[in-house]
Amino acid sequence: MTELPILVVDDEEEFVSTLVQRLRKRGWAGEGVLSGSAAVARVAANDFAVILLDMRLPDMDGGQVLREIKKIRPQSRVVILTGHASASEGEEGIKNGAFDYLLKPVEFETLLEKLQAARDRDP
Amino acid sequence: MLKGNDFPEQPNAGDQNMTFFLDRLTSLFRTKPRLKPAELQAAFRAHYKDFRALLTANNNALELMAEMEQALTAGRSFGMAFVRGNCTALSVNIYKMIHHLTRLADGRYTELDQPFRAITKQLEQVIALRSPSAEGALILTMAEVDASAVDQVGEKMANLGEVRNRLGLRTPDGFVITATASRHFVEADALQVEINRRLKGLDLDNLEELYTVSAGIQNLISNAPLSPELEEAILAHHQQLATDSEDELLVALRSSALGEDSSNVSFAGQYRTQLNVSREFVVQTYREIVASKYKSQAIVYRQQRGYRNLDVHMCVGCLRMVDGAISGVLYSRAPDDPRSPYVIIQAAPGLAATVVDGSGATEQFRVSRTPPHPILHRQSAEELSHSPLALTELQAAELAATGVRLEEHFGTPQDIEWSIDRCGLLYILQSRPLGRPASEGGQDNSSISSHTVPQIRVSIVGRSVRQRGLPAMQQVCGQADDKGDAVPCDPLTLLSGGVCASQGVGCGPVFMVRSNLDLLRFPKGAVLVIETPYPDWASLLNRAVAVVSETGQPAAHLATVAREFGVPAIFGMKQALATLENNSLVTVDATGGKVYAGRIESLLALAPPKPNLMAGSPVYKVLTQALAHITPLNLTDPASPFFRPDGCKTLHDLTRFCHEKAVVEMFTFGERYGFDDKAAKQLVVDAPSQWWVIDLDDGFTPDFDPESRYIDLNHITSAPMQAIWQGMTAFPWAGPPPVSLGGFGSIIFQSTRNPNLDPAVRSAMAAKNYFLISKNFCNLSVRLGYHFALVEANLGKYLTENYVSFQFKGGAADQDRRLLRIQLISEILSEFGFRVEQKVDAMTARIEKKPGTYLLERLKVLGYLLIHTRQIDMIMADQDMAASYHQKIMADLRTLMDKTTPEA
Repeated sequence: MTELPILVVDDEEEFVSTLVQRLRKRGWAGEGVLSGSAAVARVAANDFAVILLDMRLPDMDGGQVLREIKKIRPQSRVVILTGHASASEGEEGIKNGAFDYLLKPVEFETLLEKLQAARDRDP
Repeated sequence: MLKGNDFPEQPNAGDQNMTFFLDRLTSLFRTKPRLKPAELQAAFRAHYKDFRALLTANNNALELMAEMEQALTAGRSFGMAFVRGNCTALSVNIYKMIHHLTRLADGRYTELDQPFRAITKQLEQVIALRSPSAEGALILTMAEVDASAVDQVGEKMANLGEVRNRLGLRTPDGFVITATASRHFVEADALQVEINRRLKGLDLDNLEELYTVSAGIQNLISNAPLSPELEEAILAHHQQLATDSEDELLVALRSSALGEDSSNVSFAGQYRTQLNVSREFVVQTYREIVASKYKSQAIVYRQQRGYRNLDVHMCVGCLRMVDGAISGVLYSRAPDDPRSPYVIIQAAPGLAATVVDGSGATEQFRVSRTPPHPILHRQSAEELSHSPLALTELQAAELAATGVRLEEHFGTPQDIEWSIDRCGLLYILQSRPLGRPASEGGQDNSSISSHTVPQIRVSIVGRSVRQRGLPAMQQVCGQADDKGDAVPCDPLTLLSGGVCASQGVGCGPVFMVRSNLDLLRFPKGAVLVIETPYPDWASLLNRAVAVVSETGQPAAHLATVAREFGVPAIFGMKQALATLENNSLVTVDATGGKVYAGRIESLLALAPPKPNLMAGSPVYKVLTQALAHITPLNLTDPASPFFRPDGCKTLHDLTRFCHEKAVVEMFTFGERYGFDDKAAKQLVVDAPSQWWVIDLDDGFTPDFDPESRYIDLNHITSAPMQAIWQGMTAFPWAGPPPVSLGGFGSIIFQSTRNPNLDPAVRSAMAAKNYFLISKNFCNLSVRLGYHFALVEANLGKYLTENYVSFQFKGGAADQDRRLLRIQLISEILSEFGFRVEQKVDAMTARIEKKPGTYLLERLKVLGYLLIHTRQIDMIMADQDMAASYHQKIMADLRTLMDKTTPEA
């Protein structure tokens, strides 16, 4: 069990709620938001162990959200999880400090491994 | 093979056919003019336009047919989009041919519409054919499942049902959500329609697009609602399963696709299996597993193996989790030896998943197939990174006995997943035919008779050999140097060891894949270097030339797919990521367990050919059935009374009929409209020749006097005719070869330059030779001596309209010698890039869709051959003479083409 929760940022409500539920089942506290601005606001208010970030959000571009998050908390560990595969977008994300770049749909066990790796990384 | 618009089958029919043409031609010039020249020209232009459009369509149709036939034999992968697209394009082109022929013939031949519609309707039926899908229950319990339920539960679950209900072996309790259920699920709300829409036109070579479309479709399915009926049924069966359990019931949801696990198609690890699923996630997980039919690697795999999406139905087994203490894989025979007297057991602590997903270290045993099943070999503790497992001799014996029983029941060696729970009870989780036996991988290097590399002959091109491999393209080994001698030297071995997961040798630049990001950037033709052989990497196997993984076993799913695709793979190659360098060129010898720097030709030469992945697959069958309505040629003889519209049984017949009739219509144009006999101008080169030229459109210069009976080359604008003429006249003909064969000694020949040499004037053979030309078109029918040849070329505005075709038939010698001559001509034309087809003593040669300059050079070759191969059939029995002729011809042609190198 980690002290800090996970933030799931994705505009698909069903996906967010199912994932948060599954994470909880495996001992990970988590919460979800459905927009970029909500994500930035949550990060400003709270420290998260890992932020799982979709790249296609209704109000903001995922890359922009990533930069904002890093501005507020440079140490945050952000894992990109996207359904729109793009090598250039991925490279950009890693350059801007994302910990990993995952493609949807990801097997839950694989996701857990990545989240663990991100959490356990030295800040 | 495709016959093109061949000469007729019967040797004499061609001559009859020719006589017919020649009669027509003769009559053409006898008829009195009825139309004024301007009207005539306009009518001719309109007809000629149709004629050319028909030829282009004919050309395209033949090309499409050839492409489809080639797809069957070439072994490359193609999908339904290819079959559907080509059939449609073919139908369109044939429709065009019929349309243009009808116009050319002033409204005749409309009856072609009937066979055309009949054939295309049959084609549509073949293409639209769906696999039969039986309706049945939404759910079957494992107690109800055996082999007979395969169409409802998929092979994986049907086999497991057999194991449980026929053999009485222990399998986990559970139920199967059937094919009927998944079909109802995806067909509701037009979900399948949307899925098909997204898949249409998907470019599998574009990895970003592939992953994005795959994710989108899976998301669509994962979020689609289940019918209340199905959801209730799933939960009710789950409830029944839970009745006896004390704690929370956890189940495994296993995909069991229809078609999966059949003996030569593994679909290994393509679809999802989810372990430890609790009640609240069962329905959601079911949707995700149905969605996993569209995982990127599954899409690629289906395309490679010739499966349509509609061929695969996702059934899902919902089985109580086994609390595994030791689990693993059991092969009832050694994969490389179908007669091995032992079974192979791979075991790991916990669940079997770590063995098959390639992620865990395993322990390996060989256990005798004969009771009391002693352990013959056990991997030593030093080889293991962990302490030895507690698999007892008794358990090993029980496993071996079970493996033998399963093999006997299913009639073929089995690949079995098993688990022993904490109470010591053995469960069978899966049993399927063992893929690719005999010399197809799955063995460790210590046991295989690997080919050795005693003296690899290497020439090092560059000097700067880096420790970690060589820069791509710099090192090529095993090739002869300038003097033709190969320089023996030791190849630089970069890595050695591991286990062979898939035999073979591959060479390419290293590309390491550590993350999804690397995956998206994986280039075609690279060597895939990974730490763990996850099944997910399978989507790269149609791009990779070889795989090197630091961990993993031949039992891993990725290894199975690599073997199927014929991609060499070494697993368990320690330090691969640290030793190899991205973009350095390496040769992976999976059979020998080594990775070498550079390209080693001598090893690559030993690599087995790639398997034909498509043969026997549903898409392959559809194409085969479609071709039955396309390529057979029934209308071979235009003189036959059956050569008529209702004799057209295939699309090829229609092209043949249309082409034949179009040519006749062009030739009879003058007859029908009254063609001015002054239209044929005698070609004058120094003196009047035996060659006549007819302008079809803009083949003469504007200043040419239409009243003149003669024309010289300066007034001819036709580029293809000029090229043919150049070829004909570049070298003087040496005359007939010196033969003395009685009557044949007096064989008549006609020189292109000497109009007086025309002693055959009394026979049909003496007919004049006509060039029918426009600026970019030329049709030349030639009867020289005893053979007939037809050259036709069109150099259009578009590359797709460009072609040169050559038909050749006949001769005076016996058939053997005529064949030899055709052989000689075929060889020469092949060297110049022609696609040559030969049938009896007739041949056709074609080049299409090449630039004008390229085609003009080829026309010179044809012009040369027209003249210089006359009567050499008479001496073809003499091999030396034939060889010297070949040599002389090639030398002349090279000179003629201004040192242009012939192309293979």
